[in-house]
Amino acid sequence: MNATSNPWGKSEITRREFFEKCAEAGANTFVFGAIVVTTAKLLLPSDAEARSAGEIDPDTNDVIYGFLIDTTKCIGCGSCVRACKAENNVPDGYFRTWVEQYAFYENGEVTVNSVDGGLNGFAETPKWDQPEHTDKAPVRGFFVPKLCNHCINTPCIQVCPVGASYKTKEGVVLVDPKRCIGCGYCVQACPFGSRFLNPETHTADKCTWCYHRITKGLKPACVVACPAKARIFGNVSDPKSEISELLASNRVQVLKSYLGTNPRTRYIGLDSEVI
Amino acid sequence: MGRVKHFVRLLALMVIAGGVFWRVRAQAVPKDFGKLGHFRAGAIAEAAAREPRHLGSQECADCHDSTYAAWSGGKHSKPQCENCHGPGLLHVKTVSEDSTDAYPDPIKRNKLALRPTTGIQECKWCHLKTFERPSTLKSINSVEGHITKEKGTYTPASRCTDCHDPHTTVVKE
Repeated sequence: MNATSNPWGKSEITRREFFEKCAEAGANTFVFGAIVVTTAKLLLPSDAEARSAGEIDPDTNDVIYGFLIDTTKCIGCGSCVRACKAENNVPDGYFRTWVEQYAFYENGEVTVNSVDGGLNGFAETPKWDQPEHTDKAPVRGFFVPKLCNHCINTPCIQVCPVGASYKTKEGVVLVDPKRCIGCGYCVQACPFGSRFLNPETHTADKCTWCYHRITKGLKPACVVACPAKARIFGNVSDPKSEISELLASNRVQVLKSYLGTNPRTRYIGLDSEVI
Repeated sequence: MGRVKHFVRLLALMVIAGGVFWRVRAQAVPKDFGKLGHFRAGAIAEAAAREPRHLGSQECADCHDSTYAAWSGGKHSKPQCENCHGPGLLHVKTVSEDSTDAYPDPIKRNKLALRPTTGIQECKWCHLKTFERPSTLKSINSVEGHITKEKGTYTPASRCTDCHDPHTTVVKE
């Protein structure tokens, strides 16, 4: 190869020098990186420290709350929805908890209904023996109350860019309204539709299991309001609590188990059609 | 010597930039952020601090003892006082022992507080006939109504409480 065909001119360093400099630069990068990583480790709390503070893995705490919904008992009155709205000042058209009405008809039709989340109860069944409804004779039906599942593997907390979503050591997933910038990532991340952007505060809002009540020894407002005892709340760490005994003696299921979010809200009598 | 000068300049710039970053960060990030994890530790206490609005039926018993006794001993003791009447916090705070108005002005204006009952809407929440409800739950069809031995046919226009005592479900004399 002659000099004129090389646009950079003749190389000033030999091949040997080039490799030597490469090795030198590599060593420098390694040392610099090691210094940065060590400094960061010294300044930032490690995973183990965060764990011991009870944040990442709260499964060792004395009090871990759980929620159990017996769908076979729910009568769809909507008392829980009204109690929740009043207790937590939930804006019109938004819900921290709601009730869904599943109906199966003779013609194979399946309907899922949740007008106003069940706030005003549900409409009565149309008279199916009338000529216009003959093919709509109901086969079976049930109500399914829904709320935040307070997952162990939360899709919502991990997407928050400002650390406004967090989990307490009792396993309750909460939003810090002072920190939240209202970007709505968590609203989209939640596969259960449990979160919404509050139009009054412009921050993410969700069921807190009435954290202000449970920390004072009270039950969540929806649990107290339920006249059918379809909602059971308690400490799952205590094997003698009502919820622990029910969990031990019932066949329980969670919503969308295939997503692996591992919800702390569990259901008795959940139908395979429930989404 | 010329080479070292470049490094000193670069290093100085980096130190200044780093200093500015730490200063801004200290201002922007709350002091208790990261104490318990990637969030503001003080937020937990703030979330727990709110005052409960539903006080529970036991609280109502303090003043309304006769109604409470009838309700708690009757067939309608599963729905709580506040299910139909609304949350009691403002009511308890505003109403004194000798007041005659059960719904004084601040309560009337606050939709979250104790509400006057209609005597039919509250009943329909649970007792309207839908096939999803268990047959053991007494429910009525709003068009057909129901026929009673004592008072004839119930008509949709009338109120349930015209005949029934809502606290016990017993038919009034």
